[in-house]
Amino acid sequence: MIELKDITKVFRHKNRITTALSGVSLYVPKGKIVGVIGESGAGKSTLIRCVNLLERPSSGEIYVDGQNLTQMSESQLAKARRNIGMIFQHFNLLSSRTVFDNIAFPLELDKTPKSEIIIRVKELLKLVGLEEKANDYPSKLSGGQKQRVAIARTLASNPKVLLCDEATSALDPATTRSILSLLKEINKRLDITILLITHEMDVVKEICDEVAVISDGQLIEQGTVADIFSHPKAALTKQFIASSLHMEIPVDYQENLVASPQAGKHPLLQLEITGQSVDAPVLSEVARLFNIDSNIINARMDYVGGMKFGVMLVEFISSAENENRAIEFLKSKNIKVEVLGYV
Amino acid sequence: MSDSMIEILIKGTWETIVMTFVSGFFGFVLGLPIGVSLFITSKGQIRDNKSINKTLAFFVNIFRAIPFIILIVWMIPFTRLIVGTSIGVEAALVPLSIGAAPFIARMVENSLLEVPSGLVEASRAMGATPFQIIRKVLLPEAMPSLINCASITLITLVGYSAMGGAVGAGGLGQVGYQYGYVGYDTTVMNVVLVLLVVLVFIIQTLGNFISKKVDHR
Repeated sequence: MIELKDITKVFRHKNRITTALSGVSLYVPKGKIVGVIGESGAGKSTLIRCVNLLERPSSGEIYVDGQNLTQMSESQLAKARRNIGMIFQHFNLLSSRTVFDNIAFPLELDKTPKSEIIIRVKELLKLVGLEEKANDYPSKLSGGQKQRVAIARTLASNPKVLLCDEATSALDPATTRSILSLLKEINKRLDITILLITHEMDVVKEICDEVAVISDGQLIEQGTVADIFSHPKAALTKQFIASSLHMEIPVDYQENLVASPQAGKHPLLQLEITGQSVDAPVLSEVARLFNIDSNIINARMDYVGGMKFGVMLVEFISSAENENRAIEFLKSKNIKVEVLGYV
Repeated sequence: MSDSMIEILIKGTWETIVMTFVSGFFGFVLGLPIGVSLFITSKGQIRDNKSINKTLAFFVNIFRAIPFIILIVWMIPFTRLIVGTSIGVEAALVPLSIGAAPFIARMVENSLLEVPSGLVEASRAMGATPFQIIRKVLLPEAMPSLINCASITLITLVGYSAMGGAVGAGGLGQVGYQYGYVGYDTTVMNVVLVLLVVLVFIIQTLGNFISKKVDHR
């Protein structure tokens, strides 16, 4: 549906030349949600802005729905853009228009008759759940509501693809989840292909089918989300996955923590379960085999692309010998075990 | 103060109001497109064009540099060509409009700069043409600021029109000059002053009110 072929973007400032993108090729299949993840300054924003030619690439070709956008004239491009929706980190709603008129905006651009606009806008307001806000101005809405209006607005012209430029980065976690589930619903119900960029692995994990990792203007790794999570190759990818699985040791445990084994203290472990780990009820197994009492302090498990991922802080309580055997047993199941200390 | 003097003052006030608002209108007719052009041809905007931008800025700067009293006199041949005379309210409208236009152009440019660039970007992404962006995004979004710019312009024009009065434009300026200054009538002078101050206050209050009314930011 979207195909980027060998895109390069070079910015020239007076005597400085910066390469924002070099040789980026990306394919987004119809009906899929593809995420591009990268740190700030990696070129992800330039990448998504190149897709609808808000930023014209220095070289390379862009196909959306079979049309080569890079060869179009300005007026052809304006038409083609009506098939490409886009939402932004800062929503970009028109402050001088009500919610209703904001959503009507792309329809006005298309010179849609008034009566049709009314019907269509009402439909969209219902879709995003903001029927009673129709006559409010954007300044009265919360961040999540603003993004819903922006989504309704971009859907008004029935786009085939939707570009999301850090669409949830300005929102709190709960609102982020509700916007992501709305995007997922749009993808499924309206069969709209979505390309999103983000710096949060959680977003990718939540809704993406495929993911590409961008660093210094180059795509360093791409594949299905399950693949990337289970076999991350690049260090940066591993870092992104780790950051989404990061877990803090609670303060009072931190205070009692010592580095080496001591009588009366038991190991505090961080267990990382990845796609490579053997899918088995390991905690009850160690309990049975090695007589371990496990005390779970913090745990987070996710189910991504048919595989379990997660991280767990757990205290193993038994004899020192049994504790060590249990750790070896977990390692043999391809679970990453780190002894954080003894409590 | 005699009845005839009061009549003269009323007529003068009316002429000042006409000169201010009519030349303000024509000033905007000329200045708004120039201001919009200045904005859209500047760097990174929707019609980025260095040479057009530089040329426009050059002429705007020249006209802004000419003191208004000189502009009136300098423009007399042109004024005669357009309205057939160089004396009276109609004649004053020509230099007033042309004097206000570059001033308005710069203020319009500044108002448009305040519109967040993300809005233009979003409109481009929705397939808006440059004309649609100007009409449906830039101008409505800058409206509160444009209204303020209009009140500042009108107030400046009250002053300009009074200045024009000294060289035969009519209005309160002429009344104050002719009867107050030349005729040594302090009362007339002070009444003219108060009338001008009241006019300025009304314009400013009205401008603030409307600007607030259209501001939904």
